Amino acid sequence: MVEFSRRDVMRLFGAGAAAAMGPGFASRAWAQDRSKELNILCWEGYNSAQVLDPFREAQGATVKAESLTNDPTMINRLRAGETNVWDLINVNNPWARKIMHPEGLIKALDRATFEPFFETMMPGFKPPYKWAMSDDGNDLLGMAQRYGPYSFVVNTDKISRATAEDQGWDLWNDAANDGKYGILESDDWNVFCIFMVAGIDPFKVHTPEEMAKFEETAKRIFKGAKMIGDIATMNQALISGEIDFHLTGGTYSVSPARADGFPNLRAITPLKSAIEGKGGISWIEITSTVNNPNLSPLATEFLKFVQAPEVAHTVAFAEGTFNPVSQMGNPDCFALFTPEELDAIQWDSLEEEMARSAEYDIVPDYDAALDLMTAAKRDRG
Amino acid sequence: MNEIVASPTIAQARAAGPRFGERMLSAGARCAIPVYVLLALGFLAPLFAVVAYSFATPRGFDVFRTFTLENYRQILDPANTVWMSFAWSLGLALLTVAILTLVAYPIAYGLARLFGRSAGLVSVLFVFPLFVSENIRLYGWVLFFIKGGVLDGTLKAMGLPGAPEFLFTPAATLFGMVYVYLPFMLFPMVLGLSMVPRDLIDAARDMGAGRLQIWHEVELPLAMPGILIGMLLTFVLAVGAVAESKVLGGQSVIVITQDIEIAFTYAQNWPFGSALAVILTLIVGVLTVLGIGRLDLDRILGRRS
Repeated sequence: MVEFSRRDVMRLFGAGAAAAMGPGFASRAWAQDRSKELNILCWEGYNSAQVLDPFREAQGATVKAESLTNDPTMINRLRAGETNVWDLINVNNPWARKIMHPEGLIKALDRATFEPFFETMMPGFKPPYKWAMSDDGNDLLGMAQRYGPYSFVVNTDKISRATAEDQGWDLWNDAANDGKYGILESDDWNVFCIFMVAGIDPFKVHTPEEMAKFEETAKRIFKGAKMIGDIATMNQALISGEIDFHLTGGTYSVSPARADGFPNLRAITPLKSAIEGKGGISWIEITSTVNNPNLSPLATEFLKFVQAPEVAHTVAFAEGTFNPVSQMGNPDCFALFTPEELDAIQWDSLEEEMARSAEYDIVPDYDAALDLMTAAKRDRG
Repeated sequence: MNEIVASPTIAQARAAGPRFGERMLSAGARCAIPVYVLLALGFLAPLFAVVAYSFATPRGFDVFRTFTLENYRQILDPANTVWMSFAWSLGLALLTVAILTLVAYPIAYGLARLFGRSAGLVSVLFVFPLFVSENIRLYGWVLFFIKGGVLDGTLKAMGLPGAPEFLFTPAATLFGMVYVYLPFMLFPMVLGLSMVPRDLIDAARDMGAGRLQIWHEVELPLAMPGILIGMLLTFVLAVGAVAESKVLGGQSVIVITQDIEIAFTYAQNWPFGSALAVILTLIVGVLTVLGIGRLDLDRILGRRS
């Protein structure tokens, strides 16, 4: 009897995915010459034609990018054997250093080539930048670009910025606010934020009592929500007055509405929270080269390409979502941003909001918390 | 003189009997081999993978190496509220079928009998929305129903108090499902009604049958294959619907397909998601078979007296 090992099956799925990407794709992935092709697994933005077309033209290359909207799915794609398929992976900060590098899913970058780019970035990214480095501090694991605070969003016509910052996560502990808020459909971030509302640091191992408090809070929050939806639904509901504020949101989610002429919608970072010295949470994307046995030489070229001021500006304002980029530390890049663009990404308060945000980290008991949260969602009906 | 090479006649070939391959499979079966292979690869293999995953260790990827009923035990655990998602999906799907049967029948009757030359145009109007992405159509309805939107704004402009709260409720989800699946009920129904011979209706009328009696005893039984296909098609599609509850319903209720989606994405618990999918497939399969079994298709199709 033929026995399938886990690796065999994962590779089968990986090969299936490669085949599904188009005729000839699977064979090309294992071909010797990959000098004219590049495959990117990323959050939306890097898959934009505005970013990719100039690179395609400059290199005469075939560039394919697939965007997903949660980190675990992307990482499991690599675990499922798709390291043969992808050249670059773009995920949030903790995964490169804590998961992908220890599991051998990504390759280190040449420090001499790439570390100088960090010198020109915003002050918080000066080398050695923690999230771009391996745990032992020896290897450079990726490049930082987009980032932003991500706690919640309010309509400042209904709740002032000062009130929202001061009341913070307790907005969701006030029963009078039931029916006035929405919840963004972003389950991993909602786990973080519900812990914050419950007055518990999300990024630690939790006691049974803390998990019980999390469950009670999740049920109450979902019960009181007007709706759960995507970014477009949240922004539309804020503009129309269906809701006054929504949980889990930040520059990433509200910037398109602000750019469309609704500066009264604003991402808020609370002044205080259960995390010592911090009020909110932030994210930083790290783009790494995949441990592909036949890695395209264009992977590192692309990482250099997006550091250029004009390209970094395009990445910041790629379709769908607008975000600050670390390259704004370079005056040539910063000069490309118009006052309206700076207002859309809340440049006026970005530095202070990042300073009082805890950086996205892995929740050790995420699985249990997510199960409790999913059950709490069902309780709405 | 050229040497004549003896070649077997057709009669001789027939007398020799079929070759090995021909003895094993008929010509029809041999021609169908590519289709069988395609079905096996494209339909059965993914199903097999899903079933296999449902017996793997929760949150693991050790498919084919481990066998556990833990995923099913979790689903059947009385403390697990996932049954609510099954109930909402099945309940909303049954309601959608019931409403669509009532809504689509008069339209189908009109298309099959009354609209004459304009039937084609009316059909196109019902088909046309299918060319637009379902999500875009649903977001269109959000703009219609949202506070200050088309409906609310128009009513207020007319001096009325405005639209009632409808968006982001289970009723909005049901509305979306009825709207999206209307063509899938309508066109099989039109086909069913078109299959009813007008002569039979005329004959029934000549024999003194009333309108209701003609409808009940002639038209409805003869149109039933189309109606039944429409109901089954709509039910199977509606039970797997998720966009309506997300976009119009604002996730006021969680349907089972959303639970499956969460298991495969945020939770990365493929075995649990697979077990949910297997149970949903079984429930839908059993209900479908029961539904068909209650109606004698052979009799309806006139194959048996």
